[in-house]
Amino acid sequence: MPVAASAIYFLNLRGDVLINRLYRDDVGGNMVDAFRTHIMQTKELGTCPVRQIGGCSFFYMRISNVYIVIVVSSNANVACAFKFVVEAVALFKSYFGGAFDEDAIRNNFVLIYELLDEIMDFGYPQNLSPEILKLYITQEGVRSPFSSKPTDKPVPNATLQVTGAVGWRREGLVYKKNEVFLDIVESVNLLMSSKGSVLRCDVTGKILMKCFLSGMPDLKLGLNDKIGLEKESQLKSRPTKSGKTIELDDVTFHQCVNLTRFNSEKTVSFVPPDGEFELMNSRKYYTVLYFLGGCISFNFLVPDCLSERFRYRITEGVNLPFRVLPTIKELGRTRMEVNVKVKSVFGAKMFALGVVIKIPVPKQTAKTSFQVTSGRAKYNPAIDCLVWKIRKFPGQTEPTMSAEIELISTMAEKKSWTRPPIQMEFQVPMFTASGLRVRFLKVWEKSGYNTVEWVRYITKAGSYEIRC
Amino acid sequence: MAPPAQSQRSASPSQPSGKGEVSDLKSQLRQLAGSRAPGVDDSKRELFKKVISYMTIGVDVSSVFGEMVMCSATSDIVLKKMCYLYVGNYAKVNPDLALLTINFLQRDCKDEDPIIRGLALRSLCSLRVTNLVEYLVGPLGSGLKDNNSYVRMVAVIGVLKLYHISASTCIDADFPLTLKHLMLNDPDTQVVANCLSALQEIWSSEASMSEEASREREALLSKPIVYHLLNRIKEFSEWAQCLLLELVAKYVPSDSNDIFDIMNLLEDRLQHANGAVVLATVKVFLHLTLSMTDVHQQVYERIKAPLLTLVSSGSPEQSYAVLSHLHLLVMRAPFIFASDYKHFYCQYNEPSYVKKLKLEMLTAVANESNTYEIVTELCEYAANVDITIARESIRAVGKIALQQYDVNAIVDRLLQFLEMEKDYVTAEALVLVKDLLRKYPQWSHDCIAVVGSISTQNVQEPKAKAALIWMLGEYSQDMHDAPYILESLIENWDEEHSAEVSTYLFWGYGFIMKISSYKSKIGQFDILNQQYWLIYTVFGQVRLQLLTAVMKCFFKRPPETQNALGAALAAGLADFHQVGFHNVGLQDVHDRALFYYRLLQYNVSVAENVVNPPKQAVSVFADTQSSEIKDRIFDEFNSLSVVYQKPSYMFTDKEHRGPFEFSDELGNVSIGAESADNVVPANRVEANDKDLLLSTSEKEESRGPTHNGSAYSAPLYDSSSASISAANSLSELAISNPTSAGNASSSSLAIDDLLGLGLPATPAAAPAPASAPLPPPLKLNPKAVLDPGTFQQKWRQLGISFSQEFSMSPQGVAALTTPQALLKHMQGHSIHCIASGGQSPNFKFFFFAQKAEESSNYLVECVINTSSAKAQIKIKADDQSTSQAFSDIFQSALSKFTVS
Repeated sequence: MPVAASAIYFLNLRGDVLINRLYRDDVGGNMVDAFRTHIMQTKELGTCPVRQIGGCSFFYMRISNVYIVIVVSSNANVACAFKFVVEAVALFKSYFGGAFDEDAIRNNFVLIYELLDEIMDFGYPQNLSPEILKLYITQEGVRSPFSSKPTDKPVPNATLQVTGAVGWRREGLVYKKNEVFLDIVESVNLLMSSKGSVLRCDVTGKILMKCFLSGMPDLKLGLNDKIGLEKESQLKSRPTKSGKTIELDDVTFHQCVNLTRFNSEKTVSFVPPDGEFELMNSRKYYTVLYFLGGCISFNFLVPDCLSERFRYRITEGVNLPFRVLPTIKELGRTRMEVNVKVKSVFGAKMFALGVVIKIPVPKQTAKTSFQVTSGRAKYNPAIDCLVWKIRKFPGQTEPTMSAEIELISTMAEKKSWTRPPIQMEFQVPMFTASGLRVRFLKVWEKSGYNTVEWVRYITKAGSYEIRC
Repeated sequence: MAPPAQSQRSASPSQPSGKGEVSDLKSQLRQLAGSRAPGVDDSKRELFKKVISYMTIGVDVSSVFGEMVMCSATSDIVLKKMCYLYVGNYAKVNPDLALLTINFLQRDCKDEDPIIRGLALRSLCSLRVTNLVEYLVGPLGSGLKDNNSYVRMVAVIGVLKLYHISASTCIDADFPLTLKHLMLNDPDTQVVANCLSALQEIWSSEASMSEEASREREALLSKPIVYHLLNRIKEFSEWAQCLLLELVAKYVPSDSNDIFDIMNLLEDRLQHANGAVVLATVKVFLHLTLSMTDVHQQVYERIKAPLLTLVSSGSPEQSYAVLSHLHLLVMRAPFIFASDYKHFYCQYNEPSYVKKLKLEMLTAVANESNTYEIVTELCEYAANVDITIARESIRAVGKIALQQYDVNAIVDRLLQFLEMEKDYVTAEALVLVKDLLRKYPQWSHDCIAVVGSISTQNVQEPKAKAALIWMLGEYSQDMHDAPYILESLIENWDEEHSAEVSTYLFWGYGFIMKISSYKSKIGQFDILNQQYWLIYTVFGQVRLQLLTAVMKCFFKRPPETQNALGAALAAGLADFHQVGFHNVGLQDVHDRALFYYRLLQYNVSVAENVVNPPKQAVSVFADTQSSEIKDRIFDEFNSLSVVYQKPSYMFTDKEHRGPFEFSDELGNVSIGAESADNVVPANRVEANDKDLLLSTSEKEESRGPTHNGSAYSAPLYDSSSASISAANSLSELAISNPTSAGNASSSSLAIDDLLGLGLPATPAAAPAPASAPLPPPLKLNPKAVLDPGTFQQKWRQLGISFSQEFSMSPQGVAALTTPQALLKHMQGHSIHCIASGGQSPNFKFFFFAQKAEESSNYLVECVINTSSAKAQIKIKADDQSTSQAFSDIFQSALSKFTVS
């Protein structure tokens, strides 16, 4: 039975109930207490997000300062339950305008109850799309449509959309200026050994799109992915232009893409929603998240799925934006010397923003002194790290930091210090670690208006770890 | 508006201040109820919000029910919703007052606004009051025919709610058939999806009662319906798709074309952004192709990429859910994932539950080509801050070593661990080195050199200490100062561990509670004895090991060891340990010392043969999880079973959860109060959880040899095996060891007497069918045959026609040391076993039998818990009318089972 939840609770960090919603009678009335006694108040907290107590299973997730707990008594579908929580939180956020935390919940608890009623019925997830729910769950506008002048008109429309197959984009959208914003956001995950060899490296990217387009437009997007280009050159029977091509490993799509057409024609057509959405999600391979929204058809070339069966993800061909070269010397029992050189290996005209390098030091650090050629460094005892920040980091440069650390001498300390990896955060605008580029983005609409297309690239650090 | 400050302090329902406020609210609501002044809705809203927020934090606001209902006459939809929510929450406890709401809900069900119609219908069905069901039928009927899909969607789930309140009303109104019609014809996919959920639930639970329902349930899986729904899958919402895919996974395809059609249709679902949809699709693929080996393997290749993508996206909790499934697949087919090992490398900041799964997968996928990289990576984790993960990774290295033929490099790594000089690293490494030597005695030379240099002072954990002592005894000829180390250990015989007693007592408490929960509600079970018994197992293992090691050493280096041996035997014979005012003998240690002593007296060379026989290397360490259980888990792919790594019957069926009833216990937990009552249930839950783990054979134990030592030829070794975890040896001693099984059963008899269950003195006196006016006695075919496939199919199709729990005779329990004993016995009664499994104390059997003349089958699931002496049977029969008679035969056969 794929029941996703028998009850849902929202708790703050102290364990006070913020929201409780019982969907089914098969779990006892006061499961919160069980959660508090057996999970929150024990060391169990955080050791595993799925726990069984008695005959019930608890799934919990912490989101900012709130625990969301799902209780089931049957053999439920875990993936579905967690996905439901994530989607529900996204929905709440879109209602609250951003934050989802204890205060937001306290201020909106009636709204949350209303939404919980709609998004799940008797343990079965119903409709979670903000686009649709916002048509008829309107906390602010409560008074206008129903109490002051009850009109029939918006309602049937809304209910049609609640359940309808294609209710995701309202007709008759009009924008003065027709614009499309396309952001390619990649995050690089790196695990480098202390000897400088790459143990693991991949890129997780997504394409975000913001549409302000009138009517029912049709979109076509071309990328420099390898198979797409090959397909194209086959079609046009001319050789592929030289230049970097990217091999995409795995593609996933959002629900509204017509995948039958994708498989036969290698084009993706769909109707995106109005506003911001995620188009594609990549991990050195690209994922298309399709969308319920306006009428745009995305026509772009993606790899042949069937041939993917036997290909693996490639870890080569990733352009690492930074190289970190650390040397850490332990000089006797009470002194350490740390030298870190960071090399930026992207174009000299580009620059990275918000670079933070965290170099772990032992707990018993007493005194530190720094010399940096760029940015600022300080010792943060809360996380036992030297934190070196460089606000603007140009390409093809290699600033260094050298630090001397004095340690408190401890008698009992005989263990050698185990060094956690150096971690790095950064954002590099106009750079993609995968090398992916948008070749074209075309918009058609029957009224033939002109569109302005904006494309941005940004590469962020995912988990960028260098062992030392 | 924020909920009142009360929630900040405590959520106690019985706060006096809460009461005062509630009566305040009551009077305010009353004032507003009749008012038609402008702006009255605003003030109502504020009041309603207050009521709801009290309700949320657990303050009982049921006393304002009447006022809430009076105020509900409003056109403000938000007010309505709050009111519905309130009514839904309290109607169950105030069935009389709930009647008041029926009127306005029914009126709202006819509102012209479909949203209001839907809401009212939903609330009406959520009242959950049995005597109001008559009011539900009408609105539900018209709701199902409503021309608005929102109302229909709500009505469909409403039918399901009605079914749970009163099944007969729901069936009598013919709602299931209406739902079926809607499912096949409704244009709206959410309505269709809800119909599917409702029908699945209704027919599954009806199936045991009526044949028609079970036919209908089968019909849901028929080709036309499955295909009809599959053709619309793209219109379905992502959640509904999960539901549908779950259905398809149960579908039995007619031929291979059927299979490929479905897979082609669903191929693109693997690219869905919702992980749950992807997993559900994976399940369909895996289950459809089970019979086609080649395709099945291709499926693995195909699903690999999407699963790896899912693992690396989303929150840690989501990736944990996916990772658990990936883990299952990796364990089933490690070779397919061998080249993807880098995906299982742990990131520094990942939560430990993710790391733990990844470590297990790294261990599983290790083969000739990637071992070096994997072991190098694992060694990095050994220095991890998180000690559990560090330990796990060392164990992982050890496991890889035991899997591989080329262990050269790994042995070096393990030995490096020993030199790291961290207590826990040394401890884990010692245990591993010991296991390694049992499998690869040829490495002894390298290992012994390093092991010999370890100071016994640095080894404190009993398991590690026992391992070290074993090596000292086994390789005393190669270790220069082995006799002297042993001697010094014997000198410290008494001090040993005394500092840790209290810790272990504390730690053992959980197990004691577990034991007492098995014996069910016996109140003051002799906990003290249990505690000593526990100490004795913890101490026992080191001391027993020490005795054996000294003996071994004596035969190899007699002159040097003689003194030590004398001292050890003397200490062993005099063994007792003082705790509080009691002297507790470590009986096993005492007995073994005595045994050695007499053996030596009798004949030294015989003694040598007994203690130090030539040993064969262990070739395979026994697998801990039976393949039956693994298959069951695989059948339940995409559910909690995979996360818990045990089949669902172990955590959803009541009998498997043991006597501890969660909901009862909860009632006793006083909120917020740290009273003793509060602590005890907590421990018991804990303990109960652990025993479930034990019964399913814990992963952790797999690092040691299994307790029956079947793979090992040295007779003495197994009882003294150090690597059996203390927990395990405890349960072992308590239950499965044949010698103590008698004790266990006699104690359980005593307990049953205490409970007044009054076991029949002679088992034969168990339920005799004689008194009832009977159908002709049932005869069974002694040579019945049934192949497992048919059995499984039937088991799935048939409903339970009979289910009962009864006590087993103590003799029967005592005889049930292995499943095989019972199988033979039952065969003598023409009841055949098709599958059996489990470990003491939980055994599980599937039996079948056939009627003598016809081919009518009886299928039985029998779960026996030896520690509580309870047997739980579920009988499914082709011919339901005779199932009672068969159950009598079965029970009497079972009751005759004794020690032969």
